[in-house]
Formats: sequence, structure tokens, C-alpha cells
Amino acid sequence: MSYDIRVMLEQLDEKELFQIDMLKKINIPRNWSKTLIVELLALNVSTQDIRNIKTKPLEKKIESRDVSAIIIKDLVKQFEDITAVDSLNLEIKQGELFSLLGPNGAGKTTTINILCGILKPTKGTAIVAGFDVTKNLDEIKKVIGVCPQEASVFKFLNARENIELFGNLHGVPKKELKKRTDAFLELLELTEASKRKAKGYSGGMLRKLNLIMTLISDPKIAFLDEPTVGMDPRARRKTWEFIGSLKEQNKTIILTTHYIEEAEALSDRVGIIDYGKLIELGTPQELMKKYETKNLEQVFLKITGRRILEGI
Amino acid sequence: MKPQSLVALVKMELKKLIRQPTNLFLNLLFPAVLTIVFIFAFADPELGMSINSVVPGLIVYAVIFVIMTIAQSFSSERQEGLLKRLNTTPMTSSEFMGSQIITHMLISFLQVTIVLTLAFLLGFRPDSGIQGIILALPVTAIFSLSSVGLGLITAAVSKTPEAATGISFVFILPQMFFGTFIPITTTTQQIAKFIPSYYLLDALKLIFEGDWMNTNIILDLAVTSIFSISVVIIGILLFEKYGSD
Repeated sequence: MSYDIRVMLEQLDEKELFQIDMLKKINIPRNWSKTLIVELLALNVSTQDIRNIKTKPLEKKIESRDVSAIIIKDLVKQFEDITAVDSLNLEIKQGELFSLLGPNGAGKTTTINILCGILKPTKGTAIVAGFDVTKNLDEIKKVIGVCPQEASVFKFLNARENIELFGNLHGVPKKELKKRTDAFLELLELTEASKRKAKGYSGGMLRKLNLIMTLISDPKIAFLDEPTVGMDPRARRKTWEFIGSLKEQNKTIILTTHYIEEAEALSDRVGIIDYGKLIELGTPQELMKKYETKNLEQVFLKITGRRILEGI
Repeated sequence: MKPQSLVALVKMELKKLIRQPTNLFLNLLFPAVLTIVFIFAFADPELGMSINSVVPGLIVYAVIFVIMTIAQSFSSERQEGLLKRLNTTPMTSSEFMGSQIITHMLISFLQVTIVLTLAFLLGFRPDSGIQGIILALPVTAIFSLSSVGLGLITAAVSKTPEAATGISFVFILPQMFFGTFIPITTTTQQIAKFIPSYYLLDALKLIFEGDWMNTNIILDLAVTSIFSISVVIIGILLFEKYGSD
């Protein structure tokens, strides 16, 4: 079976529909073995995914699921006597929204900083979009977007200028850049303020701008480090919706957050990290089932013995 | 080097100059105020100083203050995480440093233009005529490279913008005292020979006097160029190693 058809099939569900409709649409040869058909039918996919397959071009789906966007191998980062990341191993799939949860100082930001090239690992390595962070940083920088924990924007520039600067640094063509900028500003309700200098923005507005600057290059992989800290509940909800919509664009998103409900609502999988070590990994549902809890907050409490918001 | 990135960075740097009051003051208003004050205060033949002898010093004075603005700007951008963020984009070091060099050469052009225009309005008439004024622009631009380099060195060793301001005076003061319009005595001349602004000052004086054939101009330009290029290379290396984290 060709790779693209296999990936496509992995998106399918609804057995009857699959049998009656999709088999014809994707031209699966009639002579396929019974075993293979049965195996395919056993896949669990939502009706939304099937709708996506009908409405989106095939190539959008080709890269997903089976391709690893990030592979972290025995990663260690030491700052003098402190081990911030301790033998971390992790694999994140293309198109996955993965949340790294952990208390302050757990090693989340350090891990992200290594993956996007800000820090060099002490030991081990990581492969991001097929490139080694210790060898091919220039290639990695072309396909990633990084939303830092602090809203790092040029305060003397307005929102549009900040966004366009980062678009230009990523080589986004002029017309496309304007189109994307307008769309993002509209979507995150910053159009009105877009011509004012960022110096006068509220914390929430700076956060939104921070996020747009990350996504303007249409990165394959986006690192969002606490993207909604400081936002009011309404803006936070709006941003969650926006982040959720990125999944439909087949982007890989690595999210760190203190808002555990954010992780629960958005994530395909969650990794809990403490003292630099990955101590638990799974889908929110798997973790809640495993620890017999009703939400991730309780899972976190059971695993680490403390609440995630402690010490903030 | 991608032109799109370079142009975007230069535009951003120029906006920084125009929109940040401190930068605007130090880079453009300060040379203007200085020109007016110094010409009125010191350009008096009875004090042994003509307007023509004050102007080269004013140009040097203006350009050496770029050290402070660069150092402050880099330190505060580092503190706000902006340099780190820029480092996560495909922007290369050469694009970033290239944008700094282009921007500050443009600024030094502007500074020289401001000083010369005001000086002209206040009676400055160099023997060289307009050619001397035109030649002063590129010569000063070469020297402005050294200010970029010294600014980067300062930023590399400064933890905060406040520290950068203080440390930048280590480079500004000697150049100010020995390489501007403060009279050079036989004793201080020996020290001045180790100060790069002295050579720019000398070159500008000879240029404005119209003494084109003087071999000292070549020597002055050679020293200024070698010093500027060396300092900018050291600055880039130090800043990349210690300054951008």
C-alpha cells in the first residue's frame, strides 16, 4: 500500500461509510486482501476527520501521524550543578498538539529552548523536522515558530510592523505577508490596535501579538511557551479556539502551560515533566483513566504530589 | 544574505532611531545642540579657535556617541528576550550585523549632514569648498564602523542597559578628550596617537583645509579603516559569543 493512501486511511472511521463510499473515492484496489481491509476498518477516526478528507487536498494529510516531527533522544541540559533536563526521551508526531506540563522550573522551557536552538544540549540530541539540533539549526529555523514565555515584541513598532518584521525574516512573500497579517489581526481582534505602538498594549494584547509573530511564517512546528498567561478569560478562550484550529492545518504544536484545562481541552497527548524528567505520557483520557481521576489537574496532583499552579 | 531580511532589519533599526526619544536625542538632536552651543561658546578667534577648527571635532563627537546608543539598545533588547527571539528565525548573523552597520553608517551620514548644515548656517566656510564637505561624509562613515564595533563590545560585557551606559564611557571619554576639539599639547599628543578618533579628526581637518595632497590623509584613513574593521570584527565575535544570550 502506498504511504499516502495508508496515511489517509488512518484518518477514516465509520465503517459503513468507509466501505461504501471511501473505498471508491480513493480507488483502493478491489483485490486487497481481506486481512488488510479488516485491519483498516478497525481504525478509530471521527466523522470530522472524514469530512476533512473530503474537503482538504490529499497532500495536506500525507505528512501526518506516522511522521515524527520531533524525536528527543537522551537529552540532558545542565546549568553548573543543576540538571534542568535529565535524560529526556520523547517522540512527537507530525500534526500532533502536544502539551508539556510541569511546575515552575520543571524543565519545560529549557527543553523548548533546546529544540528551537536557543540552548545547546549538554548531552543527547533532538531531531526536529528531520534535522539534528546539534548540527542543522539553520534548517530547523526555517520550519519552526517560537512563541516565548515573555511577550518579546518591539515596543516602538506597532503590531503590523512587528508581524511583518518576523514575516520578512522568514522570507514570506510581500503580498502573502499582508494577507496573512490582516487575517491574523482580524482573527485575534487586534485590527483596531494594529497601527498603535505596542508600547501602549495591554498584557493580553501583547500575548496575542506574540502568538501572531510566531505563526506568521506558517511554521510546520510551533513552540508555544505559556501562550495565554496574562490574558483575561475571554481572550484566553478565544486563543484556545485559535490554537485548536491550528491542528486542522496539520501543524505540530508543542505547548507548555500552567492552565491545565487548556492542555486537557487542546492536547492530543500530554507529557508531565518534573525535575527535568518525563514522568508520565499519554492522551488526557488515558491518563485520567490510569489514575482514576476526573481531570488532568488531579492526575498531576497524584503524580507530583502538588498542584501545577503552586509557586507561581 | 537575503535582501528581504536585511531591508526589514534596517527599517526596524531606523524606526527605533526615530521613535525612541533617547535614541533620537543622542543620535540627531545632541549633535545639533552641540554644534550650536560649541560654535557660540568656543568658535572665537580671541580664544584661538575658529569655527573651521571646531567643526571636525563636533563631527567626531557626534559619531562616538553612537557607541552608547548601540550598547544600550542591544542590552535592552537582550534583556527583553528580543535577541533570543530573533535568533529563532532564519535570520543569519551576517544579516543582523550587516543591518547594524548599514543603519549606523546612515545615521553617521545624517549626523555629519546636521553638523555641517548648522555649522554652515553659523558661518562655517571650509577652504575645501563643497568637495571637502562631500568627502567628509564617507570618511566619517568608515569611522562610524568603529563605533558599531565598540558598541557591540560594550553590549557583550554589559548585563543591563544601565551598565552598558557606564561601560560605554570607557570608550567614549578617551576619544572625546584626545580626539575631538580639545587642544592637543605635546604631552597629550603621544596618548592621542593611540586613540582612533584622533586620526579621523586629523583627516577631517586636512580635508576641510583642502590639503588633498597631504600624505597624512592617507595615513589617517588607513589607521581609521584598519581600526574600524578590526574593532567591528572583534565586536561581532564577542557579541555572538557572549552578547546574544
